[in-house]
Parts: sequence; structure tokens; C-alpha cells
Amino acid sequence: MKLFTKNKKEVNKHQKALNELIRVVGKERVLSSVEDRICYSYDGTKQKVLPDIVVRPGDTTDVSNTLKIANQYEVPIYARGAGSGLTGGAVPLKGGIVFDLKNMNRIIEICPEDFVATVEPGVVTKQLQDEVAKFDLFYPPDPSSAAFSTIGGNVAECAGGITGLKYGVTRDYILALEIVLPDGSVINTGGKTGYDLTRLFTGSEGTLGIFTKITVKLIPKPEKIRTLAAHFRNKDDAIDAADRIIDNNILPRTLEFLDQMTINALRGHTGTDMGEDVKALLLIDLDGTEESINYEMPVVENACKECNGFRIKVAETAQEREAIWAARRSISPALYNIASHKINEDICVPRSKIKEILQRVDRIKEDQPIYIANFGHIGDGNIHVNIMYNDDPGQEELAEIIVNKVMKEVVALGGSISGEHGIGNKKSQFMELEIPPHEYDIMKRFKSYFDPKGIMNPGKMFIR
Amino acid sequence: MSTDWKEEVSKCSKCGKCQTVCPVFLETGDESSVSRGKISLAEALRDKEIVYTDKLRDHVYSCKKCMRCRTVCPSDVDYEVIISALLRGVADEMGIPLLPKIIFRYILPRRILFDLMLKVGSKIQRFMPGKRRGQMRHLPLMFMGKRWIPTLAKKTALKRLRTTRKLKNPKMRVGLFTGCLINYIYVDIAEAVVDVLNRMNIEVVIPQGQLCCGTPSSTMGDHKSSKKLADVNKQVFESHNLDAIVSACATCTKSIKLDYLRTLGPSWQKMSDKIYDISEFIEKYCSDDYKTKPLDEKVTYHDPCHLMWVRGITDQPRNVLKKSSDFVDMDMAGSCCGGGGIFTIIHYDLTLKMLERKVNSIERSGADTVATNCPGCIMQIADGFAGKDSKIKTTHSIQILQKAMINGGVDKGK
Repeated sequence: MKLFTKNKKEVNKHQKALNELIRVVGKERVLSSVEDRICYSYDGTKQKVLPDIVVRPGDTTDVSNTLKIANQYEVPIYARGAGSGLTGGAVPLKGGIVFDLKNMNRIIEICPEDFVATVEPGVVTKQLQDEVAKFDLFYPPDPSSAAFSTIGGNVAECAGGITGLKYGVTRDYILALEIVLPDGSVINTGGKTGYDLTRLFTGSEGTLGIFTKITVKLIPKPEKIRTLAAHFRNKDDAIDAADRIIDNNILPRTLEFLDQMTINALRGHTGTDMGEDVKALLLIDLDGTEESINYEMPVVENACKECNGFRIKVAETAQEREAIWAARRSISPALYNIASHKINEDICVPRSKIKEILQRVDRIKEDQPIYIANFGHIGDGNIHVNIMYNDDPGQEELAEIIVNKVMKEVVALGGSISGEHGIGNKKSQFMELEIPPHEYDIMKRFKSYFDPKGIMNPGKMFIR
Repeated sequence: MSTDWKEEVSKCSKCGKCQTVCPVFLETGDESSVSRGKISLAEALRDKEIVYTDKLRDHVYSCKKCMRCRTVCPSDVDYEVIISALLRGVADEMGIPLLPKIIFRYILPRRILFDLMLKVGSKIQRFMPGKRRGQMRHLPLMFMGKRWIPTLAKKTALKRLRTTRKLKNPKMRVGLFTGCLINYIYVDIAEAVVDVLNRMNIEVVIPQGQLCCGTPSSTMGDHKSSKKLADVNKQVFESHNLDAIVSACATCTKSIKLDYLRTLGPSWQKMSDKIYDISEFIEKYCSDDYKTKPLDEKVTYHDPCHLMWVRGITDQPRNVLKKSSDFVDMDMAGSCCGGGGIFTIIHYDLTLKMLERKVNSIERSGADTVATNCPGCIMQIADGFAGKDSKIKTTHSIQILQKAMINGGVDKGK
């Protein structure tokens, strides 16, 4: 465990803040035993830093009071939803308060006639999807953690997911926010007049304020979904097929690409029928009405055929469909069949540059004793580059070097270092690769305007 | 503590997916409730960052050991190894409270003493006020005036079914592992098992020397006692030449089929392969051997954690019920009823919340009766309805089958 070493003055400050929090927010909402703090010391990145205090607010007033106290005593504070983030957003890097928003989990209202819903940040994304589905409505952003990650975390990280090509990402569905700022004041964003503060705060990773209410846009739920799997003998064919589908003016609900290394890891899983000759795979979901799917499906099949696809299979039953997607969902754990450690970079490049970036990744890897598996949402250029390595000496360093090189190539091709996972502290070292100094400075100035004392999620996004 | 839990802890990738299924986390939303939190506590113990404290014990005890998390874990962490090590650690480092210790170490291994203790209990309970629909207040919690448990049987199942009913040409000869709740409280479940199997031309032996399966003591981390009980049960069941062993208790089945493989080692494998839940056995060996006339009664089924999540058994009890009643599924049939050992006593408030969810979904199903395959769940759910003065009955699926077979006029022993 990385213990945060503090001087006496800081210990004193934290103690005062703790007493004050217990007095104002209530004993049952403030945890300070080492056992409780350990349970809030990590997120999905496996990093671990012990916080000094955990606060579990129940409403906006609790949030406001906590922030006031944190600001007064200059104690760092880190918002946390499900703690499932992949870039370290919820890890209390510099000690202080972990702010567990899981208990603020009410769905405040769903307005079927206005196509909007307002929820608290602790609502699990899947629960929101399920509740609005009862009104035949659809909240499209669908990160693969949707079953446990919270909407608050999704907004903070601007989560993406497999439906991004057709439906966009979290940012595209956030209409309004109620936010508590570090000084404890409560603001509401979302009007059309003036600057678009909603967008500024979406993806701000807990560095500016804490969301207490989130209003999302909903759309009508597509009547039907149909799934197709197409196999290819090389990855360029698969990428061409994906391009051709889109060139035919068809936007699939999902368009997932798996390369050979990913397929190797998946071999033996049900739902995939992959001989040695399969070097790439496309998994495609079409949604819409029966008629629209009946029109689009043959076009998609043809596009795959024209690009040398084979064993092009439409899932006939719900079970077949589920089997295909179960295989997709098992990629992440299955990758550990290749090696015991993984660095998952969710890079994003313009779609036309996918072939190029994969070639460059190959070139970077060359014959080094490391494995790279690429898969992802090819339709929106979001590829997960997974660098797999073992415990052998030097492997971790080698992996880091490769990541560094990959990031440089991504930016050189006009891409983005993070498609959907956020920056956190895991990617903060790459921020300046992509963001020019002037823009970086502007962002820093926004940050210091909202958070002059620098208590909001310190150590994330910006390294300087 | 054995060493392998220490490695198992490192397998957790901290993704948080266990939050999707943990029934305790569903109620608390607190990371210390969910497996990932407990794994990180185990990790901290391993790395000597913390020691055993009251707080740690509370967190360790806030696990229902339903093992749902194992079924969804993408990293395939064997959580049972970790939680068992934590429970054992709590017991070793902090000791087991005196009363359970006396019960586990001296009474459970001795059938006569156990009988005597409960006999005294059954005598005393006659003078207890406030029995409601055959349920009485739970002794330790009686003064909280909340909890209702059934009355103790006057004669235990083991005694009542001491003599094996011999069949002429039995298709198979099976042993029944009764388990404590059925032995002392739900004797009629044991009788139904024997009756139903006899009607299917299966001879049922109830080995007399059998003891508690060991779950209560291992839940408290007293593995020494569990090992003692397992040794005796092994010897007792191996001494009879049985084609199979059945149990009507989901937890006992899990314990003797799976936990014993750990306690007793690979020598138990051959016996373990022959152990079945009662519905699982009937569907596997007798599905064509019986006639029923379905009861004119709407019956729904509650999935006990230890059958559904540990063993994946969900269809078999339903198939049996479909043949014996007007079966209707409830939503969230697999949600935990909250029952089960030490958890119910220490985290009574959470237990009640889980029970409320369960009772509500049973009511929504419109069923007259809820059947399940675990006496622990029966006790818990019946408690929920007794408190509400509801008309819905709680029973074991085998008892529904028994009625339907009698209804269908199947002769005893063909």
C-alpha cells in the first residue's frame, strides 16, 4: 500500500475536518476506521491509496456541507461512484476525503412525454436503462460496465460504449446538471442561453465540482435488434468491410472489431466458431424496425462478402445472439490467457486511419517479447490496444515504452489518447501530447477558477 | 490459515462487477459489503497492514456466503476460499463466542446431547406465549418481539424414520442426509422425501449416526469442529452401500457435496459425485417414473442461493413443480430471502430488507404457495408471512410433489 506521508499540520487539518464532518453531516455518513478506508482506497485500475475519511452523502445538502468543510480545511476530495473506473479517477492519490455517492441513487423522475429523465449520480446506468425501457424509451450510452457503473461516474468520465457509432457517447445525452462547487454553492446548468457549462462539466472527472442531479435525454427504443458475425482472413479485409458498410449509409448499432490475438484468447469460448483461418472478426448489431433491418441486413452481408468475409452468420435466436455477445464481453478476462498483466489503452483515431494505426502498432511491437491484442468499436475509430506482458524482468518497462510510442503515433494521426475511459492519473502524462500548451493553460485556468484551492481530485488530468 | 487464499486475493482485478449480484451490497451500497471490499481487506491482512478488530469482524460477517459473486467474476476469483480464510482468521485471532463454541465443539458432534438440548427447548417452548400459525418467536430474539420461527418437533426425523422401509425390487438404494433444520423442525419434509422416493420404487436409508453438515461452525470460522463433523458423516455414509445420497436442504447439499472436498480432500470425490439435491435426483433418475395429478393450487418457486448460484440448479425443482401444480414463476425468483445463520442474527435489519423484497415478489406472482428446496429459506420466508398475517403458505417442493402423487393415485412402493 502506498501510504501518504503527511506532516503534522496536515494531520491536524484532517482531524479538524473529520470532527466538523461528523458534527454537520452525521456520524453514520462519515467513516474513518482503517477497515472502511481500505474499502475505498482503489478503483478498477488496481491502484491503492488510503484516504483519511470516507463521506457517504445522502442529498445535495450533505454534498454542499462536505465540500464547504473540505474547502475550509483544504482537504482533497475525490468523488466516487461504483469505483469501476479504468484511469484512476476515484483513487485518493493525495489522501483526504473519498466522497462515495453510491447512496444518492434515486431516479427522481422520468418524463415520457418530454423524453427526459432526472436522476441522482449514484444510479447504476443499467438501472436507468431498464427503468426508461418500461416507457419504451432508450438511454443509449452503453459502457461494458453499465451493469455496475453509476451514471455520475459515466458523466464524469464521459463514458462511451459499443453503441457510440450510431448513438454517440454520454456527452450527447446530458441535458442539464445540478452541481455543487467546492465552495459549497449549488449551480444548475442546461439552459440554451450563455456558455454551455453542461459540456464543460461533462468529462471533468471530478476536478471541478460534484454532480448531484443529472438530466438525460432519451430517445424512442428501437423495436428490434439483429446480430451478425463475419469472419475474415486478414484484418485489413475486416476494416474494409466496416468502411464499406458505413459507405452504404448504414450506421449499425454496434460495429465491433476483433484482431487475431484477441480471437486466439477467445478460442474455446462458446458462441464463436473460429478455425485457424480466422484472423479477424466483425460483430455487428443492427437495430430499428423489422422493415429497416430487413433492408439493411443484406447490404451488410454483401459488404462483408465483397471484402472476402466468410462464414457470415446472422443470429437466428435470442440465444445465438446472446452467445455472440457473451463471447465479446469475455474478451477482457480472456486476454489474461495470453499473459498475466494488461495495459488497456482506449485510443481513438479517425476511422480512415484505423488501418494505419494498427500497422504502426505492429511496427512498434515488431518481435519484442510482448503481446498486443486489438479490439473495439471500429465504427467510431475507438480501438482498445491491449498490451499484455508477464512478470519477467523488464517486461513492465517494455510495456510502458510501447504505450508511450503508441500514444505518440495516435496523436500524430490526429487521434485522441482516450476514447472513453477518461484521463485520470493513468493517462495524465500523455495529456500534453495531444493538448497544445495554450489550450492546456486555458483548461488549467478554468480549473483554478472553479477550484482555487485545488481540493477537487488532485493529481488527475493535469500533471503540472 | 492456508496459503492459497493469499494468491487468490491477487487474482481480483478490482473491476467491481460483483456489485451487480451481491444481495448485501444491494441494500447497503457500501463497499465493505461486497466481495471486492472484503478481498481488499484480506489483501491488507495478508500484507500486514491491518489486524483483526471488531470492525473487521463485522465486515467479514456481513457476507451471506451465497457465492453469487463467483458466478459473475471475470477474473474467476474463488471467493469462497477467501471468505473462509477470513472467517477462520476471525475465529483464530478473536476467538469464537463461548456459547456457539460449546455448541459446535461439544454438542453438535454428539447427537444425544443435541437431541437433549433441543428436547428441553421443545418442552420450554410450550409455555411460550404468542404462537402464530405454528410459528413461535425465535429464542434469542424473542424479546425484540419481531421474529417468528417454527416450533421444534416432538420427535426428530432420524428417530421417526429410523427403520428403513424395505422395497421388493428397488430401482436404487439411496441415503438421506437430513440436516438439522429438517431433523429437528421440518420432520414432515424428511417424511415426504421418503414417501415420494418409495413411490418411485427407490429405497431410502436414513443412516442413524449422521450429524450436522458443519456449515454453522465453518460460518463462524470454526473449521476444527467442521472437520470433526465431516469425518463422522464420511464414516457413517461410507459404511452403507448407497447408490446415491440425497438431501432436501440446499445448504447441506452444498456443504457435503462441495465443502467436504476441501475439508476431507480428494478421497471424498467418489461420494461427492453421488450427492444430489432431491429435485435434481428425481429429474435425473426418476423423471419418467411417476404420475401426478397437478394440485389445483398456484405455486411459485424461490431459488435458494446455495442451489442456484453455487450449483446452477434452477430447472429441476421447477420441472417437478410444473408436474405437480399450477406453476407460476415470480420475478426475481433468485433474489436472496435474507435467511441464513449468523448473518440473520448479526445483520438483522438487512435480513428484513431482503425478506421484504422476497415477500413482495412472491405476492406479485399471485401464488397461493411458495415452494423452495431449502428449510432455511422456508423458515425465513414463513417468518416474513407470519409477521404479515398473509395467507400464502411456505413449503418444500417435495411436499407439493408428494401431495400431487397421492392425488394421482400412485401406490406406495408401486
